[in-house]
Amino acid sequence: MRRLLDIPPLIIAVGFGLVTLVGLLFASLLPEVASILTGWAAFIAAAALLFGVLNLLVIHLQRFIRGRNFFSLALILSMVITIVVGYMDRSISELNGLNTIFQYVLQPLEAALGSLLAFFLLFAGFRLLQRQQSGWSVLFIGAVILFLMAAAPMPAAFSGLFSWVQDYIAPLFVHAGVRAILIGVALGTITLALRLLVGIERPYSK
Amino acid sequence: MSFNAIAVIGVTLLVGLLMVFLWNRLRQGREVGLRPLPAYRTLRTQVGRAIESGRHVHITLGRAGLHSAAGPTSVAALTALDHLAIDSCASGIPPMVTVGEATLLPAAQDSLRQGFAQAGRLSSYSPIQTQFIAPETNPLAYAAGVSNELHAGNVGSNLMLGRFGAELALMGEAAARVNAPQVIGSDDSTALAVASALTKDVLIGEELLAAGAYLQGKPWQLASLQAQDWLRWVVMVLILVFGILSGIGFFT
Repeated sequence: MRRLLDIPPLIIAVGFGLVTLVGLLFASLLPEVASILTGWAAFIAAAALLFGVLNLLVIHLQRFIRGRNFFSLALILSMVITIVVGYMDRSISELNGLNTIFQYVLQPLEAALGSLLAFFLLFAGFRLLQRQQSGWSVLFIGAVILFLMAAAPMPAAFSGLFSWVQDYIAPLFVHAGVRAILIGVALGTITLALRLLVGIERPYSK
Repeated sequence: MSFNAIAVIGVTLLVGLLMVFLWNRLRQGREVGLRPLPAYRTLRTQVGRAIESGRHVHITLGRAGLHSAAGPTSVAALTALDHLAIDSCASGIPPMVTVGEATLLPAAQDSLRQGFAQAGRLSSYSPIQTQFIAPETNPLAYAAGVSNELHAGNVGSNLMLGRFGAELALMGEAAARVNAPQVIGSDDSTALAVASALTKDVLIGEELLAAGAYLQGKPWQLASLQAQDWLRWVVMVLILVFGILSGIGFFT
């Protein structure tokens, strides 16, 4: 019975995967098929987002009711206000409430968090030296400092001091390393995609 | 037919045939020598330690949608979750799962449900044990949400597998503050640079995509990993040959 139930999702996934691939490769053979299927995927993704929002709402409602968690209450209220403002925007076009929320609430909060990233990275660097006192750690920290110096604005007299980092170290070592990672990922993606396309790997039915 | 179409069909056929050949060799009893990856060993031991100490394992799956170009990274992360969920759910201390993209939510919920089912504790499963934090367009909101979960939950181990960016630093710092050892795997070069500062257990790009072969070890997964290794040699030789030809001015 279990095996029988596995068959419909397998046929849908493999069939749609192959049709999309053929549609992308031979646009004349299956005109617009790939774009239609990609559109369906986008619709499913939008539906998943709705379920995601509901999941978030249920979890935080439960936390507020059971644990009197006021951060959860703040999240629920923010969600409700944003939905109401979004609905009002549709009826009163000059209100522009969603833009106001994004501009005066979300953007400053994200900017504040983003500015903290540098400090967190600094802490991580110190922790690395504490945790792992090896040549590799020193090389890592040394490379970070070198690239920071090269990227930082310098007085005119010192501006050419670290240009060799951008001219030689970045293209030789950094770009080569990044390309090596990308080639590895591409090879892994090809083999995994093939397993998905022929239905050997089935993340949709376990 | 365009050159791109011919190239895609050629590569697909080549890789497919190579995988079938290697799978056949495995069936005939040939052993596969997997390159030792300490991060996978740590991943298993960390989960065991967290469960023994009565603390949760937190697993976050990044913010690459299953319908996006980085989908395979998320599929690999989900494979790791499938494996880890079985152990954690059997122990009675289910993992805390968070996602930063909506299409990952049902897939992660299914993994967890399957973990409970295999442990014979399906009645303990609840869909809200997997939490959607923020959509993929808000990486900092995602990082803030995950950090909050790490602080609030009783977390003994932190696993971050999937597509991340620089926001990984916020989540890694939160895990470090609650003394949770970490394993990080990603295909993004920025995230990998940050991860190297946060932990020694990093799964770099293709190593994360090999999660199935290392954790489940099914013949097809092992065959495709071996195919990857062979193809890497082909790519290396091609780079070398084209480098030499370019150096001697063959293409000018």
